[in-house]
Amino acid sequence: MAAIEPMKQFLIERVEWLPPIVVGGFDLSVTNSVLMMLIAAVVIVVSLGMSAKGAIVPGRMQAVGESLFDLIDGTLVTPIIGHNGKPYIPFVFTIFMLVLTMNLMGVVLAVGHVGGLDWTFTPTAQLAVTATLAVITFMSVLVIGFIKNGLGFFKLFVPPGVHWAMALFIGFFELISFLVRPLTLAMRLFGNMLGGHVVMNIFASFVVALGAVGLAGFGLNSLGLVGSGLSLAMVIALTGLELVVAGLQAFVFAALATVYLNEVVNLGHGH
Amino acid sequence: MASPTQEGTTEPAQAGGLPQFDPQWWPGQIAWFSLIFLVVFLLMRSVFVPRIGGTIEARDAKIEGDIADARRLKAEADAQAQAAAAETAQARAQAQKLAADARAQAKAEISASLSAEEAKLAETTEAAEASIRAARDEAMGNVRAIAADTAGAIVAKLTGQAATPGEIDAALAAKA
Repeated sequence: MAAIEPMKQFLIERVEWLPPIVVGGFDLSVTNSVLMMLIAAVVIVVSLGMSAKGAIVPGRMQAVGESLFDLIDGTLVTPIIGHNGKPYIPFVFTIFMLVLTMNLMGVVLAVGHVGGLDWTFTPTAQLAVTATLAVITFMSVLVIGFIKNGLGFFKLFVPPGVHWAMALFIGFFELISFLVRPLTLAMRLFGNMLGGHVVMNIFASFVVALGAVGLAGFGLNSLGLVGSGLSLAMVIALTGLELVVAGLQAFVFAALATVYLNEVVNLGHGH
Repeated sequence: MASPTQEGTTEPAQAGGLPQFDPQWWPGQIAWFSLIFLVVFLLMRSVFVPRIGGTIEARDAKIEGDIADARRLKAEADAQAQAAAAETAQARAQAQKLAADARAQAKAEISASLSAEEAKLAETTEAAEASIRAARDEAMGNVRAIAADTAGAIVAKLTGQAATPGEIDAALAAKA
């Protein structure tokens, strides 16, 4: 019977045919995780390069690229931040495209072991990656907040028109909820991708395991084929669900980044 | 659904739980992801966002311009149609006026010639009447002479004595 190892897909291995890179005692070699990130970046650059042709009547690639851009510009940044949100579109669009591409690669590119590499790998199911993205987002908000408002940035934690004792009390909790943001950003994406892929992997293992039981003999063993078929249907359904989750989590991450940016960009402007 | 072997037993990296928590691969992922994010962000800022955003803006501007053009052309066409309708109406009014004028002129001409004919007729009638009157007057004058002659003859026959023209004239004048 095949062993069910739902966590094996998250294992990181150094890419053997590339030289190891060690800087200051840290192993920065290209791993399968890094390779997937690089592929995602190439996919983004190539597809956006194809969709940035500037035709008035767009082709297919251009229509896709412009739809994604409009999702960020027309649905998130401009409605949330307003017209002074234009400078933040590249940042939010970068977050969205990277997360979306890496999420989708985890579902679409899950072809198993081909060419000496396990392609069933999702970089956004790696806490190191989601944490890095969360910290980048958090630090950007912090830096932009101080550049835009100076020390007025701290007004973010104090609601206006409140007694000083109350403000101190509320400010304490506001500060905690602010500081916990990178953690929630990182855990939300990580947890969603991890959970979905684990469940998919388990059901996919059932297809093989129960199928083996069904083929092993007759009688009660035949029930294994039924279970195998049901698990296969489940895997197909979960694949669809994971595609939705991939897009949704990318959008959620971008939306939260936009909301956080809005707080510091429009600080004290009627919000 | 019961699973016979939920947990893998021969998983080397699973000794410490999830492979994601293995600190060995964190520095590499953090460094590479930060680098990739920076590169993609710089490309977005300098190339993709300006180009895609510019294209969308240019398209919006073009659509707006085209709609404005279409609106302007439609207004022009409407104005032209109105002008044409006005021209037609004017031409029709002119034609009607022309026809009315012609009709009036014809009527005037007819009535003029009619009155001229009438005048001529009246003149002719007048002349005829005058000649008739003259003929009658002449006839009446002759009647007096005849009456005087007859009266003289009658008086001569009855009295055997011819009356003088003065007596006859006096008698005629008294009778008349």
